[in-house]
Amino acid sequence: MRLSLHTAPEVPLETDCLCPDQLLGKSAKEIAKLLVFHGNQRAELGEFFHIQEGAQNGTVTVEGDLAKVKQVGAGMSDGKLRIVGNVGAHLGAEMRGGEIVVEGSAGDWVGREMRGGRITILGDAGHLVGSAVRGAAVGMTGGEIFILGSAKNEVGNGMRRGLIAIAGDSGDFTGVNLKAGTVVVLGNLGLRSGAGMVRGTILSTQPAELLPTFCYDTTYRPPIVRTLLLYLRRQGFTIEDVYINGPYRRFSGDAIELNKGEILLYAG
Amino acid sequence: MSEANTIKNAVCTFCGCVCDDIELVVAPDGKSITRAGNACELGRAWFLEHKVEDYPVALIDGQETSLEEAIEAAAEILVKAKFPAVYGLSDTTCEAQKEAVAIADFLNGNIDTTTSVCHGPSGMAFQGIGESTASLGEIKNRADFILYWGGNPVEAHPRHFERYSFKAEGKYLPQGRAARTVVVVDVRKTKSAQEADIFLQVKPGCDFEVLWALRALVRGRFVDASIEERTGISMEVLKDLVERMKACRFGVIFFGMGLSMTRGRHFNVAALLALATDLNQFTHFVANPVRGHGNVTGADNVVSWQTGYPFGVNFNRGYPRFNPGEFTTVDVLARGEADALLVVASDPAANFPRKAIEHLHRIPVITLDPKPTRTSQIAKVAFTVAPYGVSVGGTVYRMDNVALPLRPAIKSPYPSDEEILRRLKEKILELKGIKRQAA
Amino acid sequence: MTTLRIKNGKVYDPINGIDGQVCDICIQDGKIVAEVPEGSPCLDASGMVVMPGGVDMHCHIAGHKVNLARKFLPEDHRRDVQPRVGSLRSGVGGVVPSTFTTGYRYATLGYTTAMEAAIPPLGARHALEELNDTPVIDKGFYLLLANNVCLNQLLAQGRMEEFREAVAWWLNATKAYAIKLVNPGGDEPWKGRRNANVHDLDEPISGFENVTPRKIIRALIEVSNELGLPHPAHIHCNNLGHSGNYQTTLETMKTAGDLRAHITHIQFHSYGGERGKNPTSAARQIVEYIDAHPNISADVGQVMFGKATLMTADAPLTWLLRNITQDKWVNADTECESGCGILPFSYQERVYTHALQWAIGLELFLLAKDPWRMVLSTDHPNGGSFQNYPRLIRLLMDKKFRDEQAKKANPKAIAQTSLLDIDREFSLYEIAIVTRAGPARLLGLRDKGHLGVGADADITIYDEQEDKEAMFNAARYVLKGGEFFIRDYEFCQDGEGRIFHVSPDYDPKIEQVLKPFFEEYYTVQFENYPVSAHYLAHGVRVPTFRQ
Repeated sequence: MRLSLHTAPEVPLETDCLCPDQLLGKSAKEIAKLLVFHGNQRAELGEFFHIQEGAQNGTVTVEGDLAKVKQVGAGMSDGKLRIVGNVGAHLGAEMRGGEIVVEGSAGDWVGREMRGGRITILGDAGHLVGSAVRGAAVGMTGGEIFILGSAKNEVGNGMRRGLIAIAGDSGDFTGVNLKAGTVVVLGNLGLRSGAGMVRGTILSTQPAELLPTFCYDTTYRPPIVRTLLLYLRRQGFTIEDVYINGPYRRFSGDAIELNKGEILLYAG
Repeated sequence: MSEANTIKNAVCTFCGCVCDDIELVVAPDGKSITRAGNACELGRAWFLEHKVEDYPVALIDGQETSLEEAIEAAAEILVKAKFPAVYGLSDTTCEAQKEAVAIADFLNGNIDTTTSVCHGPSGMAFQGIGESTASLGEIKNRADFILYWGGNPVEAHPRHFERYSFKAEGKYLPQGRAARTVVVVDVRKTKSAQEADIFLQVKPGCDFEVLWALRALVRGRFVDASIEERTGISMEVLKDLVERMKACRFGVIFFGMGLSMTRGRHFNVAALLALATDLNQFTHFVANPVRGHGNVTGADNVVSWQTGYPFGVNFNRGYPRFNPGEFTTVDVLARGEADALLVVASDPAANFPRKAIEHLHRIPVITLDPKPTRTSQIAKVAFTVAPYGVSVGGTVYRMDNVALPLRPAIKSPYPSDEEILRRLKEKILELKGIKRQAA
Repeated sequence: MTTLRIKNGKVYDPINGIDGQVCDICIQDGKIVAEVPEGSPCLDASGMVVMPGGVDMHCHIAGHKVNLARKFLPEDHRRDVQPRVGSLRSGVGGVVPSTFTTGYRYATLGYTTAMEAAIPPLGARHALEELNDTPVIDKGFYLLLANNVCLNQLLAQGRMEEFREAVAWWLNATKAYAIKLVNPGGDEPWKGRRNANVHDLDEPISGFENVTPRKIIRALIEVSNELGLPHPAHIHCNNLGHSGNYQTTLETMKTAGDLRAHITHIQFHSYGGERGKNPTSAARQIVEYIDAHPNISADVGQVMFGKATLMTADAPLTWLLRNITQDKWVNADTECESGCGILPFSYQERVYTHALQWAIGLELFLLAKDPWRMVLSTDHPNGGSFQNYPRLIRLLMDKKFRDEQAKKANPKAIAQTSLLDIDREFSLYEIAIVTRAGPARLLGLRDKGHLGVGADADITIYDEQEDKEAMFNAARYVLKGGEFFIRDYEFCQDGEGRIFHVSPDYDPKIEQVLKPFFEEYYTVQFENYPVSAHYLAHGVRVPTFRQ
């Protein structure tokens, strides 16, 4: 199935229905009638998208500049969603399963409170990848988010389980308030990574300045790093062998919390 | 001088101190204020500069028009918009703020206040951490340890020290200043810093690291020795500060925009709020934001009780949603999302980031302000209103959430924000065909 | 002249002794009347239950503390939204709803009156602003006076007449309805002695010679009585939540002697055992005392499993619990007047203490001989939201359901109590007492809580259903002041509701005592402190017994 944007929204378009769970099994006609919000107006999906029925192989492809389109794939539990173009905020929020691939960049809140499944973004992502909402302590609790470009601030805020990997740089407060789970940044970590982290792992292949409440433990070659990076390489990340084999300096923190988190920095 | 020309206990809304002991003397012609007793220099200027001037009550495209026509034009713009946004509100009464929220609700629009560009991060930090706080009289009466972080009250809130803080004599501190330890933390030695017993000069952009180190020391945890090199504050000084904080009877940290609007924003404030909370393991400890606008705290309160959220609220789907970064005005403008903007008592065209201002030029803007502003000059519809506190009565909230009644001194020929917003709301209801189901 | 006859409904009106009889209720101009003219509009309530509008005598719905809690919990609001319908405003629900939603949801349950239970005087203006924005229901608030530095000073100096005059002044200045005591004397050690607290009624309070919690309690009970306030002193006892606190509660009740006093959310004060150890149930001891002392009344403060938010002027309590939950926490002191703590909380069936609290609340309802003096509340949102009332009603009316729920709860806790041995099931008549007639009578609101001639025509009509939770979840019709607000489950009207307050007489000379204190120790001008009539758009002054 293929949807292509024919009319660019003038104001944000919220399309909770752009999600394989809700699209697959429906006819193009039915899909065109699905409710969306164009700013404060109720509208139909067909007012913005051409819908082309195709083989029911479980994949939905959406084409066009969706930078003003929010909530794409929110709550998704199954199937595959391929987006050819940029996409707006809350991509795959509260996603439980299935796969989203964005052949472009995404806005803020990618995979907010995600529980399962996988999101891959070939371009960049905005702030708060895999994070909690304001006021809540817990963000992503499962699944994988792969960003082949860079991401902005607060990657994995409150994350409890799962994996976030970023090929480029991350912004400030990467892995802030991490409960557990893993954040890999192959580029540069922003400032104050791991602030308030309780458990979990933050790994970077580049040097970083850490908070004064992180304490150097040792330099070693943990087998898990090799396993993890090889896995990421298979998912399309370009990772040089030195990082896969190389020694890492381990810092424990955040001392303000339980001090059971770790930040691993490549020590080659 | 006749008694009738003097207003006692008037309330100054120039800043968040909202001093309510001002004595206003009105000129015999009733058109200006000649004296503002007890007011600071900022407050004096605020009261004395208001003259009844001769602006048109309403303009459409810069052309003078009747109030009626302007209200109709404004309502039509807002009803037609798909993403109408309401912004400002911190320099008007709560009564007007309520009407503004109603307008956003009936429009299924967006509402945000200047909080989002001052202490919005403090609000977000509060939502994550909570806070231990107090009304300002508690500090005057009890605080034997007072710390100011990232603010300069001497210049921004000139009476803060004497009315609410260390220069006051308190119930439990009759010796006043002598009984208190005063600390200032800032990136430069301000006039406020000169009044402190201890001044900590932090390298710019390092507030978070210092706060984090303080938290760790309070908790008896590890702090890396590099702290001095990175922040400019030595471990000894930090340890000494921690001991003083733990040893006091009632401690307070006041914090300003030097913390909330610098890199780290809500995390800076969250670190500070968490520090104050941590200190409650040892003694009574509170933290208070020092707010700028006269009724920005009222805006937070009104928007909160009506929608459940303090700022950055969107009604597009018929009910309030909250998300700073998504529904805050700077962001909805910078991303080119809002397609009409109603500005009440604020001047975004003068102080927003460039991208947001560019979008302001592309969409119809409606302004309510006592004086022409950069924003009113680009507005499609501009209303002139009577200034609150000077000419308009109503309710305002001091920075510590204490509500006070205004005592206006001079009559203005212009309507109040509340009146225009109420009429605008009625017009919007009419255009949208929403029938009142009121008793 | 608007008139209406409601006929064929089963009427439950305990104040007038009507227990399910089918009879006509006539309304004219907002009041219940004996007859309406021939040809008046008629509502056929066949198969329906007709009751006076519900009265919640203890909840937290307005003011600084409630609004802090609202701002504090965005993550809770977002899953429970209240869309705008026509001119009825939108809002959010969750444990601490926005003001409009609070009013609409109370009305949906058939409640037409709710009293905000704890406002510091300095916060009165704010509370009234929010109450004015809480639609449909009538309301009022209680004034926190048991940690008032100025009053404590007068008490310490034995200036009892001035103490009384000052209290009367304060009630007038704030437009409050009743006097509230919270953890009497506890704020001074909390704010002034490194977060300490008082634990004994006879423990002296630092800074005030000869003042003890007992003295404060006695003085405020006496003043309520001397001023002839329609509702007696409303007391949140010391040691809330601590094991063994039932002794403090008994002592507090004894301090009243034979004067009227109301003990609020008494469930939280009915624990046996030793302080610092697991609590046990002392519901029986508490009920026995109240049964034997008609001057004492209580509301239960039932705990309901699920989300809650602790919000109380008892700040030390929330700090204690915060150190267990490690969750986000708010403390907010009000100068010279009060403390405040806020903590998100969740009562879990499996947790011993929570299950015990749940069972003790039910024991109190079910063991009390006189339902008129043991009325329904959850201390919203402390024991759970008011939106739990339908479920609580079912727990009281349906033993089978109650026992099933009890079996899901921590068995050790349930075994500590007599809950499973109690067979009592409340009748609709008794439900009408604990949710309407009882609270109205305890509040001294003579025109509320009944359907006799002269009463306010606040009426709820439910479809009679076997499942009482479903039945009380949504009234089919709600009339307030004789006007339909809900018709066939849908809102058909919006309105602001009234605000009840008292204004006991006082000697204006007391201002000469108060003003110097204000000038020294408050940060607002004495003249700007009293709340003007501007904040009482629909105020109703309820006379004292002396007026």
